[in-house]
Order: sequence, then structure tokens, then C-alpha cells
Amino acid sequence: MSLVIDSITKRFGPVVALDGVSFSVEPGRIFGLLGANGAGKTTCMRIVLDILRADAGSITWEGRSNIELPRRTWGYLPEERGLYLRMKVIEVLSFFASLYGVKPAAATAEVEDWLERFRIPQYRDRKVEELSKGNQQKIQFIAAILHDPAVLIMDEPFTGLDPVNVQLLKEAFLEMRDRGKTLIFSTHQMETVEELCESIAIIDAGKVVVSGTVRDVKRGMGRQVVRFATDGDTDEVAWLDGLDGVRITAHREDYVELAVPTGTDPERILRAALDRGQRVTRFEIGEPSLEEIFIEHVGRPADVEEERHLASSGKAPAREAKP
Amino acid sequence: MSDLFPNAWHIARREYLTRVRSRTFVIVTVLLALLGVGVAMLPVVGRLIGGDQTVAIAVHADDRTLQSTTVATLKLILNASEGATAYKVTGANDAAAAAAEVRSGKLKGLLTVTRGASGELSFDALTDAGPTDQRLFAVRQAVTQLNIGDRLQRAGIDPSQAGQIFAVTAFKVTPTNPSAHQPQDVLASAYILSMAMVILTFMAVITYGVWVATSVAEEKSSRVMELLVTAATPRQLLAGKVIGTGAAGLTQYVAVVVAAMAGLLLQGQVARLVLGDTRGASLEGLSLWVLAPFGVFFIGGFALYCILYAGLGSMASRQEDVQQVTGPMIVIGMVGYFAAFAAVNVPDATWVQWASLVPFFSPYMLPMRLLLATVAPWEWVAAAVLMVLFIAGALWIAARLYSAGVLLYGQRMGIRAVWRATRVHR
Repeated sequence: MSLVIDSITKRFGPVVALDGVSFSVEPGRIFGLLGANGAGKTTCMRIVLDILRADAGSITWEGRSNIELPRRTWGYLPEERGLYLRMKVIEVLSFFASLYGVKPAAATAEVEDWLERFRIPQYRDRKVEELSKGNQQKIQFIAAILHDPAVLIMDEPFTGLDPVNVQLLKEAFLEMRDRGKTLIFSTHQMETVEELCESIAIIDAGKVVVSGTVRDVKRGMGRQVVRFATDGDTDEVAWLDGLDGVRITAHREDYVELAVPTGTDPERILRAALDRGQRVTRFEIGEPSLEEIFIEHVGRPADVEEERHLASSGKAPAREAKP
Repeated sequence: MSDLFPNAWHIARREYLTRVRSRTFVIVTVLLALLGVGVAMLPVVGRLIGGDQTVAIAVHADDRTLQSTTVATLKLILNASEGATAYKVTGANDAAAAAAEVRSGKLKGLLTVTRGASGELSFDALTDAGPTDQRLFAVRQAVTQLNIGDRLQRAGIDPSQAGQIFAVTAFKVTPTNPSAHQPQDVLASAYILSMAMVILTFMAVITYGVWVATSVAEEKSSRVMELLVTAATPRQLLAGKVIGTGAAGLTQYVAVVVAAMAGLLLQGQVARLVLGDTRGASLEGLSLWVLAPFGVFFIGGFALYCILYAGLGSMASRQEDVQQVTGPMIVIGMVGYFAAFAAVNVPDATWVQWASLVPFFSPYMLPMRLLLATVAPWEWVAAAVLMVLFIAGALWIAARLYSAGVLLYGQRMGIRAVWRATRVHR
């Protein structure tokens, strides 16, 4: 009864955009799709929405192929925001709702409800172009959900929002989940994923490198993380390296992060420190963060690629032909 | 096709309303309508500015009686053929003064009449008109008639008998192919009407076709497209776009054409008000029998061009690229345009017959042949069937270009590149 993406392959000429991508999304959950730019997230979403067709593989929702499913099954928030700028907010939203067969009166009531929720009821009759980028994005979100879709697919929904609006959008996500909707979104912001998502998939270069519930993904890393500090200089912890497979993974301002293999008891570190006569000021056993998991699987942070991409190409016009 | 509505309707409605409500649309439409009326009124305006077109001629004879009878007779003969008061004939007692007036341009000519010793009349015309001048020719004819009358009188023929001699000769023209050849004045009018239809169709197709293409490119560049293609099928989008933009274009077009037609038909009344005469233009041959097929084929051709324009427009990433990607349509339009200009002189030619069946050209070639020659019933049927087939084909091709093109951004793409990208779809 879930959304199953099964062995999707998609080529654009010589470029393999997706190479046997498989993962599944449980209904009524929030799912995070992680990956650097160009990893294949957008292509994957477009194939689910049947804007593009895969060269191989299948997609089913509640057992039915996505090709047969009615369009109103899906709500979509594209990465490139686009609305009719010269139309009034209420007109644009009613128009998109009408394409999904929503009656104008019902659409209007729903729009007013959501504008209220997003704290922008005064923009109902304003032209879209008069709104700030952040507010336009909220309008775009409303456009995606007016027809009450079972599955919401959102490409980078948090990009370009200020913290207040990020919070409002997160609340909207939880609201939709509580209404029984399934949400899938892609992002670079790992904290948001940690906060909202039950399950994730990390895509790199058209392949799923890891997927599953966040907890399983973290446990699957085969190590724990220990954050450790003494009252001495952080340089004095070099002895830790090599202790029963323990590795120093990061030197922070006032502590070090250690990777401890699952077979090793972290308390051994504490004991060894005490034996050396050091005063331990911080000792914390945790799971690796998604950020670390991402870097470990992909080889670089998720937003590095993004920054380079934006800096080099500006925006849309110069972009590669990437359907 | 059954899934086209209601979504195509929603899209068309949005498209139409946004366009028609825009200030640019209203201003441009009003200006064009005024221009249409202005062009239609041009002849009246021209006559108003050009002033009195009456030709003034003076007649001088040393014999005052001869002078006055000549004046009276010339007045009668000249104005009988031209109607109204085209010639103003006056007697001039002072020949030198009248000659001076001719030289200064106040008079068109001075006719000096003298009776020779034999009693024969001779005429001497002083004028700046060339030997081929229509008016000089008319005066010469009138003078010949006058002279014959004078000879008859001197020969003792009774004036009432003379009237019989001058009665209009019965002369009838029987064409070899009565349906093909129409009287000269009707033909001239039909010719003008044909060219008007060619030009009006060409302009409508090119202007509003580009509207459609631009609006598709606009949706791409503003990225609304991605949302649209998840909400509606390419065929719904395409049909809605063509119907909406096309209807807005037709609204403007009809407003302008109706204004111009009204101007043309009211020309007579306006002329009477302003100039005091009734010489207006009438459009001979403009009947329902010509307008109805023209209207039907115009709509068909308009749809055909707009659909293809929309398909090609989807290949442009930005509005600047629209001109380039829609180039092929301009070429097709121009071919038809020039072909029509060639065809108007040989409406019976075989190549014109075949060309007039081609859907890209039939909207103006068929009514043209209807006006200038004949169109067989089977040709109407064939042209209509071809038009429907071409529209269906265009819709298919354009939808395919559209579904691939709308998500392709980047470098300009050739048709072949896009075609290869169209293995997807619906």
C-alpha cells in the first residue's frame, strides 16, 4: 500500500540520469530525498509525476501504476517556482484548482484557510508579482495541495525561505501528514530532514546509495559517534587514534568527534582517558548525523555542489538541457 | 479527444481573459479600429482635401449665338455620360482673358469655335492636357457629336429626326463561358476583394500565430509550465492555448475589420454629408456566398497555423527565441501569400486549383477562385476534409513537440533534436 519506485532507469542521450533507482515510501509519512544537485532527484520526481517516462522500471502507488493513476493523485511543488505573475493570488490558485476539477467556491474557501494559516490573508486579491519571493513560495505550496492530493511531491521546498517561513512550512507539512497525506521532498538541509523525516533515500550520480528509516540508516553505518573533550588542549587527544579501531573524525572548537566501531564499547575510551589522568569535560555517545552519513556515502557535503552550481551558471537560461 | 474538456476550456478562459483585460490589448485594438475606419474613409478624405474635381472649360466664338449653343450642347453631352456635374462649361466673351486663365490653371481648357466659309465648324482647344487625357478625349467626342448635329441641321434634317439618329446603339456582349467571365466592373471588385482576403488572412495568421508561440514561451520562461504539465495533458494545454489566444486575436481582428467595413459602407453617407454627393464605394460580389466559406476556412486555417505555432513556441526557452523557432511558419505563410498574388491573374490555372486545396492556402485561395472563377463541389469537400486531417495531424505533431519541448531548457534546439526527445508520450 505504499509508493514503490522499482529499478527506474532514465537516460538523456549519453547521460544516465537514473540508474536502477529503487526505494519505497510508506503512506502517511514524510520522506526525504537527499542528494547533491544533478544527482537525479528532480528527474526521479518528474518520472513519478509522469511528466517524464522512465526507460525501464516501474512506479506504483497502492498497487496501481503511476501511468494509470489520475493526475489529482499528486500535488507538485517544482524546484523552479512559477506562477502567473500578473494574475491575482486568488485567480491563479482557483485556475490551478479548476484544472483538477475543484469547484471555484470550494477552492476559494480552501485558499482563504491556507492564506490565514500562512499569515498572509491580506494578499488574497494582490497580484502575484507584488509578493515577496517567500510569500510567492507559500502560494506555490497552496497551489500544490488545493485539490487534496494523496501524495505531495516537493522539490527543494525550503530553499530561499527565511527561518520564520521555514517554520510555517514545516508546520504545514506536519498538518498534511496528520491529514493522512504522504509527503516526499528533496533538500540539502540535513537538519530539516532529521526533524521531519521518518525515512530517507540518498541519491548520488543516479543511484540510491542508501535508503530506509532514518534510524536504520544510522545504525547501518556500523559505528557510533562519541563527542569527547578534556580540560586540556584538544591536541592532547592524539592517543585516541588507533585505540581499538577508534578514529578521530573531526576536530571541533572545543571537542573531538570519534568514530567507534559497533563492536567496541565506548566506555573504554572514558576509562582510558581517566587512566591517563585526564579530566573529562564532555563524553557523549550518539549516532552519526545525516550530514556525516551523507558525506560518508557521497564523498562531499550536500550543499557544496549546490553552491558551485549556482555560482557558475547563474540561473535557468544557461542551464544544461536537463528535462 | 474526449479528455480535452473541461481543462482546455479552463485554460482557454484564463488565456482569453488575461489577454483581453490587459491595457495593451484594449489600446492597440482601439487604435487599429480607428486606423481601419481611417483607411476605409481615405477616398472621401482625399476628395475633401483635393477639393472640387469639376473640370472647368470655357468656350469662345466670335458669333455669340454659336458660342451659347455650343456651351449648352457640350454641357448636356459631357455631363450626361459622366453623371452629376463633372464638367463646368462656360462661355468666354474675352478669348485672351480666358486663355490667360487656362495658362494660370484656373481653367482646364479653352475651346474656340469658328464657322468657316463653307459653313463647316472647326474647333481649337487650348489646354495643358496631353493627347491621351481622358477628359480631352471626352470633349473631342462631344464636339464630334455636336458637329454631326450641326451638319445634319444644315442638310435640313429635322431636330427630332436627329434625336433618333443619335439614339444609343443596341450592343450586347455574350461571353463564350457565361459562368467564368463576369462583367468588367464586377470582376474588378472581385479582384480587390480577393486580394483583401489574402492580405487579411495572411496578417491574421502571422500576427496571432506569434501571439500563441510567445505565450507558450512565456509560460516556459516563467516556469509555470512545469506546474501546468502536471495538471493537464499537453493536448489540453495546446487546445486551450490555441482556443484562448486565438479567440482573443479574433476579437481584436473582428473589431478592426468590422470598423473598417462600417467605414467603407458608410462612405456614401459620409460623402453626402461632407461633400454633398452620393458617390460611395460599394463592394460588388461581397455576398453571404463568399463570406460564409471564407469564414469557415479562415477559422480552420487560423487554428492550423496557431496549433503549429504553439508546438514550435514550446521549443523556445525565452521569448527572444520565438522568432527563430517559428521561422518555418513564416516561410509557409509567405509561400501562400505570393502564390495567391500570382494566382489572382490566372484563377483557372491547374496549379491554382491544386494549391487551393492545400489547407495552408485554402482559406484564401478557395474564396478567391469562387470570386474570380468557379469551384467544383468536390473541391469544397476535398479542401474541407484535408483541412480537418491537417488540423488533427498538426495537433498530434504539436502535442509531441510540446510534451518534450516544454521541459527542455538551454541552447536553441533544432526540430530534429526535439523530435528525438519526444519518445515519451500520451
